[in-house]
Amino acid sequence: MNCDEVEELLGAYALDALPGDLWADVSAHLAGCSKHPEATELRAVAGALAFAAPEAQPSAALKSRLMDAVRADSAPPTEAPKRVGLLNRMKQLTSQRAIPYALAGALAVALIAVVLTNLDSGDSNRPGRATVSLSGEDNAAAAVYELEDGIIVVDAAGLKPLDTAHTYQLWSITSGQPSSLGLIGTAPNGEALAVVRAELKDIEFLAVTVEPAGGSIAPTTDPVLEGTA
Amino acid sequence: MSPDLPEPSQRNIYREDGGLADGLRRRDPLAMEVLYDRLGRQAFGLAYRILGDGPSAEDVVQEALLTVWRQADRIDAARGRLNSFVMTLVHHKAIDALRVKRGQQARQVPVDFAEVEKVGADFSDRVLQSIAGGEVREALAKLPEEQRRPIEMAYYEGLTHLEIAGALGLPLGTVKSRLRLGLEKMRAALRSGSGHELRRS
Repeated sequence: MNCDEVEELLGAYALDALPGDLWADVSAHLAGCSKHPEATELRAVAGALAFAAPEAQPSAALKSRLMDAVRADSAPPTEAPKRVGLLNRMKQLTSQRAIPYALAGALAVALIAVVLTNLDSGDSNRPGRATVSLSGEDNAAAAVYELEDGIIVVDAAGLKPLDTAHTYQLWSITSGQPSSLGLIGTAPNGEALAVVRAELKDIEFLAVTVEPAGGSIAPTTDPVLEGTA
Repeated sequence: MSPDLPEPSQRNIYREDGGLADGLRRRDPLAMEVLYDRLGRQAFGLAYRILGDGPSAEDVVQEALLTVWRQADRIDAARGRLNSFVMTLVHHKAIDALRVKRGQQARQVPVDFAEVEKVGADFSDRVLQSIAGGEVREALAKLPEEQRRPIEMAYYEGLTHLEIAGALGLPLGTVKSRLRLGLEKMRAALRSGSGHELRRS
């Protein structure tokens, strides 16, 4: 594309009124050519058209929806791993066992070490019992270990306190099927301790989600804590 | 457990773009609330002008602001461009939604803060000065119909120059030159108008 062709298209380019490939051609030419200083100004004028539409009042619900979404999504923008929906995660688990192990990462290893150390010092009978670590955003984490056969303990920290309309719920997921292990209450400092009847060896994946008070039949939100058993 | 209403002094630190962008980067929900209070009506007005229905327009505004929230680390708005960035995002998302509604392909035009920033130069600052006075609206309204209509079809209806030519039954070359001529007239009007603003301030 030469300078004349670009000049001819500048108005349409400034308004993004070109098919994508043509727009990209003009853009590429402008990036390497200094003979079109007006291109930037025309784009600025076109951009200013955004302010020419008359203001209008959205419903009050928009602001509360937006702010709910913002508060629910308050992890640091670059560090947070992309959240994978629980259902997708379950599919991944059944098809590709390696991924969750990779995700568990160093944190899991560190937590297991801490838990095993604690167990060692507390009760010499416990080392060797299966242990699972769950991790989540904002330093939320939990250690899950077998108290005795068929009884597991969930020791969590960093959980945000919930309002009375919501509760944390613990799920075991095996062969892609979630089943509830019960509700978890939190202390104001974000710690939680729950004793649950379950066989850790039968569980592939553990997750904690936020559910409406009373709990749900199946998870309805992305996990705040998750880990592979 | 609704949070207490923020003290006015807490909101004050977000009155300037620099402080607001800092707040967004720190992931402070109050910063987003201030941004919404500042731009919500304007953003919704634009999306509504493009989409013509309230619920879709609200979805677009929410999506655009959440994009700002999630990309906050890329915002460097010390000089008054945060509004432009947000409104550009709203525009792009609204046009994409409109094109999908019409069964057309969404456009492959990138939008990010760096692009808005690049477009900025000092001219955009002067344009921004004039926005409060509704001078953009006036500059557009003053164009002859034959230039205003193609510009509106491009900007508010998301049509390409080919589609505009087809809809108006005009040769493509005529549409290209009317789009350009119209924008140049608006540029001249905004320059003189904003120069006036600057002298007054």
